[in-house]
Amino acid sequence: MNTRKLALLLLLGSVIPAVSAAQIKHIEMRVEGMT
Amino acid sequence: MQQHLGRQDGVQKVEVSLLDGKVQVTLKDDGRVDPARLIKAVYDSGVTVAEMDMTARGHIVKDSSGGMVLQTQPNQSFAIVPNELSSGLESLAGTPAEITVRGQLYKKPAGKKKPDANAPLRLVILEVVKKEP
Repeated sequence: MNTRKLALLLLLGSVIPAVSAAQIKHIEMRVEGMT
Repeated sequence: MQQHLGRQDGVQKVEVSLLDGKVQVTLKDDGRVDPARLIKAVYDSGVTVAEMDMTARGHIVKDSSGGMVLQTQPNQSFAIVPNELSSGLESLAGTPAEITVRGQLYKKPAGKKKPDANAPLRLVILEVVKKEP
């Protein structure tokens, strides 16, 4: 049981930082109607 | 327009080029921004977004219908329009591999002036910038 919990913690520990590092870095737009 | 965009969550800086109609949006470090809200903010300022490109880092996952999705945050993802570049990423679906891609997220439909706020943004991958195992 403890081994299972440890394995789960290790799995979450590797997935959570990876997900939190993902993000939108930059946005560029071309617009119309600007004077 | 700069003020409208600058007020949006996640936006750090907005640079507008009057010459070519380009708008560069620099985001805060957390990258938590909603592109659909930016399109609406631009429209609310009296101009129309013709195209929106984004560079984003995320994971490839498959949605319930088997389509590929770029997940940039646990609660934010973009459906990927299948093309030559996206097919090369299919093997990464469901793996912890991270990719950085540049792609077109929005293109104004011909003849329409007002953006459809309910239309989901779909990502056409133009370049795979980085793959991290």
